[in-house]
Parts: sequence; C-alpha cells; structure tokens
Amino acid sequence: MPRIRVNLYASLRRYGGGSPTVEMDIAPGTTVGQLLDELRIPSGETRILFVNHRAAAPDHTLTGGERVAVFPAIGGG
Amino acid sequence: MSLIYRVNMTDLSVRAESPPAEYAERGGRALTSALLAAEVPPTCHPLAAENKLVIAPGILTGTGAPCSGRLSVGAKSPLTGGIKESNSGGMGALALSALGIQAVVLEGKPRDDTWYRLVVNADGLRIEPADGLAGLGNYDAVARLREEFGEKIVCLGIGPAGEMACAAASVAVTDIEGRPTRHAGRGGMGAVMGSKRVKAMVVDPTGARRPQPADPDRFKAGAKQFQASLNGHPLTSQTLPTYGTNILANVINEAGAYPTRNFRVGQFEGAEAISGERQHDVILKRGGKIEHACHRGCTIRCSRIYHDQNGQFVTKGPEYETIWAHGADCGIDDLDAIAQMDRMDDDLGLDTIEIGATLAVAMEAGVIPFGDAQAALGLLREVQRRTPLGRLVASGAAVLGKAYGVVRIPTVKGQAMPAYDPRAIKGIGVTYATSTMGADHTAGYAVTANVLGVGGRVDPLCPEGQVDLSRNLQIATAAVDAMGLCLFVAFAVLDDEHALPAICQMVSGVHGREFTGDDFLALGKATLAHERRFNAAAGFTAADDRLPGFFHQEPLPPHDAVFDVPDAELDQVFNFVR
Repeated sequence: MPRIRVNLYASLRRYGGGSPTVEMDIAPGTTVGQLLDELRIPSGETRILFVNHRAAAPDHTLTGGERVAVFPAIGGG
Repeated sequence: MSLIYRVNMTDLSVRAESPPAEYAERGGRALTSALLAAEVPPTCHPLAAENKLVIAPGILTGTGAPCSGRLSVGAKSPLTGGIKESNSGGMGALALSALGIQAVVLEGKPRDDTWYRLVVNADGLRIEPADGLAGLGNYDAVARLREEFGEKIVCLGIGPAGEMACAAASVAVTDIEGRPTRHAGRGGMGAVMGSKRVKAMVVDPTGARRPQPADPDRFKAGAKQFQASLNGHPLTSQTLPTYGTNILANVINEAGAYPTRNFRVGQFEGAEAISGERQHDVILKRGGKIEHACHRGCTIRCSRIYHDQNGQFVTKGPEYETIWAHGADCGIDDLDAIAQMDRMDDDLGLDTIEIGATLAVAMEAGVIPFGDAQAALGLLREVQRRTPLGRLVASGAAVLGKAYGVVRIPTVKGQAMPAYDPRAIKGIGVTYATSTMGADHTAGYAVTANVLGVGGRVDPLCPEGQVDLSRNLQIATAAVDAMGLCLFVAFAVLDDEHALPAICQMVSGVHGREFTGDDFLALGKATLAHERRFNAAAGFTAADDRLPGFFHQEPLPPHDAVFDVPDAELDQVFNFVR
C-alpha cells in the first residue's frame, strides 16, 4: 500500500497523538478528505490543505508518496 | 473636544488648535497622510526642519471599540523618500485620545544640539530639556521617566538609532506593563523624531476624561456586534491568542514562500525550531505568557511575553516578522538568540523587519556568515557603539547592500520586504511593488486569499487576479488604519458580512451622523490618493512601483516561480487616483 506523510500544525497536532507528523498507508485513490476522516479530524477544524506544497481541496486524490499538510485557520503577520 | 498640538521645535513654542474642518473627522493614517500632503514640501530632505512628524490615534481609539488602540506615526520617510505612516500597538494611542488629543505635530528643529522631551498631561503639552536621557537605550530611558513621573505614564521615544538619525530607527511605544516593546518601526520615523531633537514624549493621562460618542446607543450596538464578529472567527478567537503571529511560520514555509538566506530559497530547514508551535511550548515551559494584549481593549491578545531559560523576562513576542527576519532570512534557527536580537532592536530603537533583512544582506555580502547568531548580535552591538559599520546596519538593507556592492537586495522604494517571497505569493508582490509605503505586507495583505483561505481564494502562483486583490486590500487597509483598529480585525471583516457594518455603526455613533460602507472605502481611497500624489511630487514614477530584477530572473525553489505580474497591470493598481 502506498505510504503518505501527513504534517499536522497548530491545534491539529492533537490528532497526531502528540506528534507533528503521521505516516499512513493508504489505498490508491484515497482523497485528502478521507485521509482526514481516518485521522478523526473534524472538517470544520481544517482551513488550509497542501499536497506537495500546493493548495489542495479535500477531494484531491492521492497516489502515494505525497507530503500532505493540514492547518486550522491561520493568520498573523 | 479634540485638539491638535503643534509643537514648534525651532522656537520651542506649543500651540493647541481645534482641528480645521478638513481634519475634523479624520484620525490615524487618514489624518497623518492628509496633513503631510497639505503641509510638507514633498521634495524636502526628510531630516530638515520642513518635515513634520505627525502622531495620531485612530477615529475609534479611546471610545471603547474593541482592538482600536493603534497609533499612526507619519512623516516624509528618510528610508523611502516618500510619505510614510508607521503603525504601532502599545498604550500611546489610548493615552493621547484619553486627553482629547487628535494629533501631536512636531515641526521645525532646534538650532543647537540640546535634546528635549515633551510632557503631555491634562494641563497641556510642555517642552523641557531631556537632561540625562540622551544616549540611553529605550529600556533605561523609560525606567528613568517612570521613576520621575510615576508608573501611569506612557512613553514614546527613540533609542540610539534615532539619536543618530539612521533610516531604520523606530519610535518606541510602551505597552501595558510600561515596557518599550511596541514600535512604529517602519520607515525611519525615529530618525525624524531624532532630527527634531525630541528624545521622548511622556504622556500622563491622569485626570483625563475620555471623549464620549455623539450617539452612545448607536456606538454600543456597533461595538457589541463587532466584538461578536471577532469572537466568532477562529483566527481572532483561537489561533492568534493561543499561538501568536508566529503561527504563520510553518504555513508560509509549507507554501514555499518563507524567504530563506536573503531570499535565495522559499523553505527553511530550521522552520520548526523557530515556529509558533515551538515558541508556544517554550513560553509556557519557562513561565512566560501567551494571550497577552499589547494595549487595553485588545480582545485578540496575540502578543506574548518571552522568558529566558532562567525564567527571566527577555522581550515580548517575538512576532512572526521579527522571528523570520532574524531567523530564516539569516539562516538562524535559535529562538533564544532571535529573542535577544529583538530585545536589542527594541532597546536601540530599530525596525526589526528592516534590521533582520539588513543582517541577511550583510551575510550575503560576506560581512558575517549565514547562520551565525553570535556574529549577528555582534553587528547590533556595532550600532550600540555607534561605529561606522553600526550606522550602516541602522540605515537599512538598501544602504548597507549598496555600500558592499550587493545585487540581491530585497527592497522596494528603499524599504526591506517582510516575510513572504513575492515569487510564491504574487498578490503580496503586487502590494510590495505598488504600496505608497515601500515593501510593506500590512499595506495590502494578499496572503489572506493567496494562502490562508480568508476572504476567498486566489492561486498564489498565478499572476491573474493579484492586482484586483491587492488594490481592494490596500483601499480597505488604509481605512482600517484610519480607524485605529488593529489590522488583524480584517480576518473577521473579510469572512463575516456583519463586521464592516458594525465598524460603520461605531463610527456613525462617534460622529453622530451616518457613516456607510461606501464612506469607509472613500476614506481609504482618499488617503491613498494623498499618498500617491505626495510621492509623485517627491519624484516617484512607475519605475519605482517595481520589484528588484532578481525576483523576475531567479526562480525560487520549491516552485521555481518568478514574479511575472506584468508591469502594465501593476500600473493599474491605483487606477482610481487621478
């Protein structure tokens, strides 16, 4: 099964068991949204998704080997 | 009643005047820019007697409106050569507005070398010799003034950089704890204050009676809705209070837009070590403070108090821009060293963005190596010792880069870029290029729609749509800056349709007449028009609304992007100014 690296940030780190990075095996064709469901992250808590450093939507399909990053609402400056 | 104090530093006289009609309902940036445009010759030398330093609270400051304690400090900038409004938190705006002061305008300059201080209280404003203050850093100067005047005072002041009239000098403003941690940093406002030989302004609001809104019920209804909007947005109610501004580090790094080693690449391998998440943990472990407000009435509380390993106070925050400038941009991943530099910048009275960028350019030049935090601290000590090299550092990235023959200098109109690479976030590149202020992220924070998913979404890597995004944000920001509102309320304004009407309702309550959303935008446009016309008269042309060449020529990893918004489109940002 292809492997995916998921990076969790800010308040979402609590869904990674205290670790900022989670490695997961996924079935080919899994979407980012399904990945977040598997991690039990409520969709209302995520605002920014990246796949390989590009903005992605929850219906983005993963093939394996990607780097996924998930953020809640973020701002500052 | 509102007063404008005219402080003539040539003949050491003070005049209190009722605001003329054209300034009567203006505040913050709308007032500083209108006054400068009307009264300062655009071609004057920024350190000459003709320049004026205008210090103005916002329209809503002091009314009890949430997050409305921002202070505008304006002048012709010695850094950019154009008009400048530099915006600060801290208690300065609230203290001035409590005394019914709409603005303090410093004019002229003394004929001798005496240093002065201004003392402002319920009895008026007086000019006194600043005996014993000259030469002190901001921390010691404030300590001495609090000893003399008591702990209720608020201080505005300059450090050694401002005394030397160096172009990266800030005006320090004390925070709730009375520490000089908040600064009107950008554009060398401290140098202008220093040129007028004013070391400090002591504001004592004791006995002052806060001005009341003309229509209190209307104001209160607006304030209640506005607070509900701030409470309802996850950014202003959760992320910013918990993690502070530096929570941006990881997301901008993930987007490949975190300028690293003087804008060579867009990702820093040490980002996690200087991230907001790490900073949060370090602060709590050492007994520092999160959810700290930089001024009373701030409900977002994004400030922090940072302690060293022994649990002793070092500095506030530090903020995202500061940590990036002294961190990733210099290849430094040591949060404690960065906090030390922030403390030194505050004490010397320096703009942390400009100085971090200048250190990175010094590294590019080979003056010190990338990644060497101790050497960077050494360059700040050069400023403290007032050596020729220290003066170069305190003059900013463009001047130091020129002195060392550096080509990769990330400035626009002489002002250093903040913490977003314009090749990977093109909307902010449009703002950097075209802002009347020089490279300034706060002038039109397109990072919102480009990366953060706030106020819609515009692909950060495509040139399309960036000009419209930047234009709309620049107009709205100029109006927010006029209100005295913290720019972070914009996150709620962009996402919640009730927030802007609430602001307008508060202003309607203050003035006692209708102020609409159209009036809000008209105020922003009028302010930008004053600034554009001033800059044009000072000699700026379309050629000044451009990024340095390397942003067009050097692809930025990981996206290998260049800045490719066409020049003709950049020239349309201010298509509403005739």
